[in-house]
Amino acid sequence: MRFTKADIAQYLPEKEYIDTVVIPLVPFDPASDQDMTKQGYLRELNHIFTNIIEKEYRGRIFLSPDYHYMSRDHDSEVERINKWIDHYQKQPFEHIFLFTFDMKWKKHENQLNGELLWVPGLQTGDLQSTETQSFVKEQAHEISEFIQSYW
Amino acid sequence: MSDKKRVSRRQFLNYTLTGVGGFMAAGMLAPMVRFAIDPVLQKQEGGTMHSVISVDEITNEPQRVEWTVDQVDAWYESQVQKTAWVYNDENGDILALSPICTHLGCTVDWASNDQYPDQFYCPCHGGRYTKDGVNVKGTPPTAPLPVYEHEVKEGMLYLGDSKSRKGA
Repeated sequence: MRFTKADIAQYLPEKEYIDTVVIPLVPFDPASDQDMTKQGYLRELNHIFTNIIEKEYRGRIFLSPDYHYMSRDHDSEVERINKWIDHYQKQPFEHIFLFTFDMKWKKHENQLNGELLWVPGLQTGDLQSTETQSFVKEQAHEISEFIQSYW
Repeated sequence: MSDKKRVSRRQFLNYTLTGVGGFMAAGMLAPMVRFAIDPVLQKQEGGTMHSVISVDEITNEPQRVEWTVDQVDAWYESQVQKTAWVYNDENGDILALSPICTHLGCTVDWASNDQYPDQFYCPCHGGRYTKDGVNVKGTPPTAPLPVYEHEVKEGMLYLGDSKSRKGA
């Protein structure tokens, strides 16, 4: 399920079945030319992963809108993320996953009220190449199995 | 110019009025005719068939085939990946099932649950379908898996749109 009119209409009456949220954590910093290239790439990769997961398990997983943040200061972000999580839990969603390639979150993992899915992503690469595609598919499969282990 | 060939004023007015009237009538009728036959002229969307697998490779065991179609979705034009489970049923006929669970749209897998080795299994809420795609009673889905239209041409299997079926 996604945050769209049609999906929300399907979600609301079937709430009891859709108990899992995946929130993509996407860093960006438009002040730095160098970071922007890498961040743009990782954002794209993040969407590919979360879209595969959402497509396969759309009847149980709700794909949240992206959580964007400036990449410098993770400490100050913890509170804002937890607020998002808090609001999702009011639905009630039972399992909250935070999907990211940003390893700095690892340090803050125990302050977060959701499960951190940190994946050591590819740092650069051609998203169109068949190698990347099969790698991503395989990894996405592993991640969904991990999510399933929580159900 | 002889008098006989001359057009009288009355005749001239008659011709002109008939001519102009005719144009006006045609102008009004043409769009109406166009509207009336519009469905015939409509280009058929989505009715195209896609070659997915060689017929020789199809066995009695369902196997996953994937292909992509161009989909126009009001605002977006995108490539969508389609999946089907393809096998020969007991009569030797090809059956192509959609993997989209009729409950809430997850993707079902063949024999992915050890307890049900000869059923389609939905990982989301444990929905199950027998090999012919009919939902197992007591599990969440209320309708069988949709079936793809198929045809065989030159040894290749072509798949079209999926058609949903009545609940069991």
